[in-house]
Amino acid sequence: MASRSSAISHPPAFRSIARSVLLTLPMALWSLLMFTPSFLQSRREQVIGAGIVIVFMTTLFFFMMRTGSTYRWRRYFFVALGFLFPVGFIAALVVERGTMSIPIERMVSGDTPFCFMVIPMIIVPAALTRTLIFPGSILPTASNPHSMAVMIGLWLALSLVVGKAWCSYVCFFGGIEEGFAAVARRPKLRRLDPRLRLFPWAMLLFIVALSAALFEPVYCTWFCPFKTVTEYAAVRSVETAIQMGIFITLFAALVIVLPLLTKKRTQCAFFCPFGAFQSLFNKINLFEIRFDREKCVDCTLCRSVCPTVALSAESIREGKTLLNCMKCGACVDSCKKSAAVWHLKGTRIAFRPERARLLFLYGTWAMATMFGGSILANSIATVVHFLPWK
Amino acid sequence: MASLSFAASAGEALVLGLTTGPVCLASCGPVVLPWMMIQPHGIRSHSRQLSLFLLGRLAGYLLFAFIVWSLGASVPRSWAGRSWIFGGIQLLLAVALLVYAAGWPHRRRATSDPSAQLVQIGAAPRPRTSGALSLGFLTGINLCPPFLVAGVRAAQLGSLSVALLFFVFFFAGTAIWFVPFLSLGFVRRSPAFVTVARVTAVLLACWYGFTGVSILLEKVVYG
Repeated sequence: MASRSSAISHPPAFRSIARSVLLTLPMALWSLLMFTPSFLQSRREQVIGAGIVIVFMTTLFFFMMRTGSTYRWRRYFFVALGFLFPVGFIAALVVERGTMSIPIERMVSGDTPFCFMVIPMIIVPAALTRTLIFPGSILPTASNPHSMAVMIGLWLALSLVVGKAWCSYVCFFGGIEEGFAAVARRPKLRRLDPRLRLFPWAMLLFIVALSAALFEPVYCTWFCPFKTVTEYAAVRSVETAIQMGIFITLFAALVIVLPLLTKKRTQCAFFCPFGAFQSLFNKINLFEIRFDREKCVDCTLCRSVCPTVALSAESIREGKTLLNCMKCGACVDSCKKSAAVWHLKGTRIAFRPERARLLFLYGTWAMATMFGGSILANSIATVVHFLPWK
Repeated sequence: MASLSFAASAGEALVLGLTTGPVCLASCGPVVLPWMMIQPHGIRSHSRQLSLFLLGRLAGYLLFAFIVWSLGASVPRSWAGRSWIFGGIQLLLAVALLVYAAGWPHRRRATSDPSAQLVQIGAAPRPRTSGALSLGFLTGINLCPPFLVAGVRAAQLGSLSVALLFFVFFFAGTAIWFVPFLSLGFVRRSPAFVTVARVTAVLLACWYGFTGVSILLEKVVYG
């Protein structure tokens, strides 16, 4: 079997440079529009960060247009986002507090930045008791601009546009494991039990039910692997020490070791409850990936390259992906028979798939530039700020 | 006059149950949800299981009412041995969830769907009367804030019969909030659906087990 990296780099078709530039132009303008406020600032680091991001995002989009492949170019952005987000975030925390941990006093005063992972956990308690079980503020404050209203609004708007593609274009955590998954040429561990893909749903039910019972966001306090590289409750007791141990163990296992061994995004595929929750948006999102059964030869290459195990033999036979498909494009790019295609719901299968891809990418890349691009620009500005030769 | 105070107590208990019901629902939800999800499709089986669960819960309420009235309202708050009881209840809940909802341990080797689309963990456990009753009883005696409020109030009442009746009406007020669980009966079951419910039950059992052990260890270490 061909190695996965070479399998994904199968290019569908090249466009001319002129046509590719023309197709990239709207995205270049969008990027400029997004980062104009950064250019108006007096801080040189911000200007440099914004400049780099505009060039980076526009170049990647150009290559998506030029080569016709999606996965590879998206991955450059997504891995950069995953690895640079903690840099900017931790630096901001250390500058403000002197530590990554958040003391209980800051939690009580509502200074915890709101993370989208909390969203499924706050719904039931809010509906039953009109209580928001998160120690953050509803509206932005001077000490906490990442308020609940801002983040939930952003999440909802983005989810309506990108659906589950949130997990491969917007989420600032997934890039870390995607980066580790890209390291090895071949997977050392190939046999994965397909039942594991049900675990995120069980995890979702578990944390939603328990958060309602305990009136606290259980996933954040006990199970989030990404607390290791962001923010956690200050370790002041046996309980918080156990929590820290769980965070580090889950991070090491699911985000580093298993992606290295399997070349899969194991945390996203087999653990993340928010990913399961986000899958529901695939029901209403306009874009999907389908399989043209007339062209498909059941080579299973698409199954082996899918980073989140979102394909099964049965689903391919039905010409569909599973609900947890995050539209990264790996299967489409790897398919040598062009049987895996981008598809706009309501049209027939394989009807102008490149047009469906373009429509999807314009919306999704614009959102990625707006959300992830801002994070990247901020993190690059932080790096530039701390450069010794600056 | 006696009947007036009797009616007032009943009314007070009912209102207390109705108003604090959402908290009871949130508190018992983690146990009821996976249990109901593994039941066979259909409103009939769900009604039966929910009724049994609530019956077990009522038994737990009445036992608690009897204890607090007999020993006084201060018991749940100050009794030194309460950690043993509450830690033990958490452990029992963990065991009951594992045995009844997750169907573990199996005596015989479980048979699985041999297809590539393997999504079922062994054979699903059969709905058992004792399962719903046990889970209901254990959640019934597992203290939650509204339950404590009702307990303190019941302990102040004049006679045991009034205290028991107070808890019956309190139970009736909270039980209404459990009716929406019947809607799960309309959801079509697939092996994947049942597997998710059972894995959730295992996760919750682990959580209750961890909580129970923590409470008991805390008691042993700090006294």
